[in-house]
Amino acid sequence: MARVNLLGICCSWSPFACYNAAGMARMELPSNFDLIRVMCIGRINQALILRAFEYGADGVILLECQDEDCRYGPGPEVGHNNVQRVRKLLHLLGIGQKRLVEKNFAANEREELVAALWEFARDMEAMGANPAKPSQEREGP
Amino acid sequence: MKLDDPRIKRIIRERSLSFCLECGKCSASCPRMLAGKEYSPRLLAQKLITEPEDEAFIENSVWECLTCGMCEERCPSGVAYSRFILDMRTLLAGTKGLKGYRSHDGALHSWMRLMTSPDLEQNRLDWIGPELRVKGSGPLAFFTGCAPYFDVFFSWIEVDTLSIARDSIRLLNFLDLVPVVLGEERCCGHDLLWTGDRENFETLCRQNYEEFKAAGVQEVVVSCPECYQVLSQFMPQVIPGFDLKITLLLELLDREIRKGGLSFQPLPRRVTYQDPCRLGRMSGCYEVPRTLLSLIPELTLAEMENSGRSAICCGNNGFINCDLYSKRIQVERLKEAKATRAELLVTACPKCMIHLTCAMRDPLRQGSLAIEIRDLANVLAGQIEWSGGEAPIGPHNR
Repeated sequence: MARVNLLGICCSWSPFACYNAAGMARMELPSNFDLIRVMCIGRINQALILRAFEYGADGVILLECQDEDCRYGPGPEVGHNNVQRVRKLLHLLGIGQKRLVEKNFAANEREELVAALWEFARDMEAMGANPAKPSQEREGP
Repeated sequence: MKLDDPRIKRIIRERSLSFCLECGKCSASCPRMLAGKEYSPRLLAQKLITEPEDEAFIENSVWECLTCGMCEERCPSGVAYSRFILDMRTLLAGTKGLKGYRSHDGALHSWMRLMTSPDLEQNRLDWIGPELRVKGSGPLAFFTGCAPYFDVFFSWIEVDTLSIARDSIRLLNFLDLVPVVLGEERCCGHDLLWTGDRENFETLCRQNYEEFKAAGVQEVVVSCPECYQVLSQFMPQVIPGFDLKITLLLELLDREIRKGGLSFQPLPRRVTYQDPCRLGRMSGCYEVPRTLLSLIPELTLAEMENSGRSAICCGNNGFINCDLYSKRIQVERLKEAKATRAELLVTACPKCMIHLTCAMRDPLRQGSLAIEIRDLANVLAGQIEWSGGEAPIGPHNR
């Protein structure tokens, strides 16, 4: 299967606790997966998700807290709204809405998180490389 | 940046910067400066010529400009200020990276760059319903631009940019023209060009040109002034042997209406008109929109205090550097529109529509700036009819 670039954007609270616990327990994770830790998924906007695809991601997964667990309030809700809107743009661009995945976790769900990452990796590998990948130099830092 | 850097010298020469008399008319008319920003076109010109070692100042100023063209309109020496900014941004982007704060965190620039992908397979034609006649190949094309993307991205401010594309095609259909609308048309690259990303802009140009050629297109009709400026003025620089005819929809309508047989249903409203910078100052099209509006019976056109060549920018360009000064420009502009006692603000550019609508929705203003805003293509498509009294294509008849 084609190697694909996978990116996870992870809330620093519940999902990162799961991710950390999975690492402590030495659970195996997909090798082609990179994680960006943010304080809250509410911090992520449409531009940052699009930029992941611009920079060459084949699939992006947002790892969020459960709706009622957000330490700041509206984080997961902001996440849902952004995912809805970005999916429409991804559809227009022919990238496919399924390349953007959103999952919610409670702080004790490390098995669920690892299973979700493997499922995500399998789905993206089945879909193959993202057709809309700019070949040229991208925007600087 | 060195004083004798040949690239800077060339820009200074090509854009006539040395002709600057330091009269300061540019700074005195700059909307950004009038809004209170510490920004001076005159000082930038002077620094670049006499003090190029002040790189921080020069770089900041280069990225701050709105490129609305007001300064060069007023310049008695013919300094090509907007093109100077464009050249400087391209140069600086090449040597120091793209700078300037991108509005919406650069989401629009991201999708524009994503479109440079050669294997792109867009789903951009979902908005074309059975009521519109379009085809896949032929001599005449309609360029949609980013309308389908804006429609999604700006849905939260309720700007219907797709209605402009739909009404433009309805107007063409009304004239019995069936345009080609390309499924793999890309962004014209205006925003990338004006924010310094020349490389991706040129890629988009080439890709669009190839798509047009593959569909047998000879003439492209454009409704968006930015797309019109790019296709007619910049694309020929990029494509050797460029042979497409680029027509502005409004000019095509003006020409067809002069042939006779067409008229408009009355629209008893008081309207005012916002000149888009890319249509007015940069393409010299001031009269055609006004002529078209004057053909609609019972419509009163009330000009704003600053209109035509002096029209004030909608506050932002190329989706870069939207800040509180942009907002102030927009608020002032909307106040001018309100002062005409018009009920409808007509513009000809989707960007003006987006930016002014955004300012109107400021909750702190409590709706005091709200005014209905429509594109000229919407207004015309709603009123046009055959003089024989044949059914118009107005909204009630869709």
